[in-house]
Amino acid sequence: MILRRPFLSLLAAAAFVLMLGPVVILVGVAFTAGSTLAFPPEGLSLRWFRAALAYGPFIDSFGTSMLVAAVSTVIALALGVPATLALHRGHPRGRRIMENLFFAPIVVPELVLGLALFQQLMVGMRVTAVGALIVGHTVLLLPYTVRVVGASLALADARLEEAARGLGAGPVRTFFTVTLPVMAPGILSATILAFITSLNNVPLSLLLTGPGVATLPVEMLNYVQSSFDPVVAAVSVLLLALSVAVALATERLVGFTKVFGR
Amino acid sequence: MSRPSTSAEAARVASRRRLLPRPPITILLVPGLAVMLFAFCYPVVATLAWPPDGDPATVARETGSLLTDPYLLPVIARTVRVAVLTTALCLLMGFPVAYLISRAPGPWPGRLLALAIFPLLLNTVVRTYGWIVVLGGNGLISRISEALGLGRVQLLYTETAIVLGLVQLFLPLMILSAYSSLSQQDHRLEEAARGLGASPGRAFRDVVFPLALPGALVGCTLVFAGAVTAFTTPQLLGGPRERLLSTLLYSRVNVSLDWPSASAIALVMTALVLVVGALSGRLGKIGSTTS
Repeated sequence: MILRRPFLSLLAAAAFVLMLGPVVILVGVAFTAGSTLAFPPEGLSLRWFRAALAYGPFIDSFGTSMLVAAVSTVIALALGVPATLALHRGHPRGRRIMENLFFAPIVVPELVLGLALFQQLMVGMRVTAVGALIVGHTVLLLPYTVRVVGASLALADARLEEAARGLGAGPVRTFFTVTLPVMAPGILSATILAFITSLNNVPLSLLLTGPGVATLPVEMLNYVQSSFDPVVAAVSVLLLALSVAVALATERLVGFTKVFGR
Repeated sequence: MSRPSTSAEAARVASRRRLLPRPPITILLVPGLAVMLFAFCYPVVATLAWPPDGDPATVARETGSLLTDPYLLPVIARTVRVAVLTTALCLLMGFPVAYLISRAPGPWPGRLLALAIFPLLLNTVVRTYGWIVVLGGNGLISRISEALGLGRVQLLYTETAIVLGLVQLFLPLMILSAYSSLSQQDHRLEEAARGLGASPGRAFRDVVFPLALPGALVGCTLVFAGAVTAFTTPQLLGGPRERLLSTLLYSRVNVSLDWPSASAIALVMTALVLVVGALSGRLGKIGSTTS
């Protein structure tokens, strides 16, 4: 294939170098013994990892990020799964309009949504930064839950549920014994996707900060802009390791490309 | 255990069990819709039209001056230019990746696709930070150029740096969109074109690419919208010298605290994304009816 398509292969190789090269270089930088961002690294050491783990704001903001990701994922699922069920099985009037409303946050720039929540919730209603972050991330994640769970429901055969009802099962029993197992892979995919999306978000979280409160990516961004030592490279490598673990776990549970390839 | 034998009996049993009429399933939509209205529609509309220390007239005036200001117009132009370039480069490099993945043998499509979308698991600071090491005045490219006797080059804080960073960021989206079209394509069409005497290049140009156009168009829309609204990459690689709409918006909010002006920039950014989305939707329709 590579020999038959030299031009296309060259472009594809360039694409992979562009996508992964900077990350590979960052890994090298993180293990440097020197104190500048240099590649190749000047000797090897773990000093920047120790520095990263000793830097309070990174630890605190990692806690904030995990809290916000967990709570907003749970809320987005609690709102999104019933709504998706109603959209797909209830045949409500104005279904298209309601679906579009759930998908609308994808179209509005996240920075704009962040600005809006900052002005209206934090300044206007005195909501705390963590509260505004949870509200904002819930809105950000709802489209993912509605779309991913919806895709699993659309594939499922609605006649299974009708059969269960016809055989005498009540709506609640039908839900727990037929509908929920059918939706389970979709819900699991949505959970992983939503959690990672929340954890990585920058533009929405950027303005939703308070004294001592910020998410980890925003804290990393601020650090990078004010100092030039390789601490953030070390944090990046730790996050990279976490991502590899998430990817492997996802592959075992539902299939990596099934979850992230949408 | 006795079962109701007729449907009339069943209905009687059911009505006895239920005193109130069962609420329709659509009631499950209410909490989600309520949150969307309160946490999304209301704040966005309020901020775009009515910022805390302004009113719709102020925002309209600010938007007007934004579109005529000799300092701000170049920012809009640069944002569009960067987004167009990013989209074109992503298509140029991402489409071949998607094509080669879709035609790879055995377990390779899955593995290569996983490798291509793995960066999506990392946050944008992690993905962009490496470029500072590559492009800086003391960076990899600069030192290679110096070793070759060409002198130092500072690529960081230029438009080129922003485009490179954004291409890296959005290639996975383009690859995924193109791949979803290409993987559904009947490979025999390409083989037929080859069998009828077309060169590999011609079969690619005249058969493979046109058939995958819908997916490529979706990818282009996603990349363009992403490039217009991206923040981290232009902030880190463009800096204050090469402002885009997003970084300008941030500095208006955080540095100059000029909210009506921030609302105006937000309005222009949102409009840009909506217009391009609508255009590509139309293009997609035209494409699907004529082919």
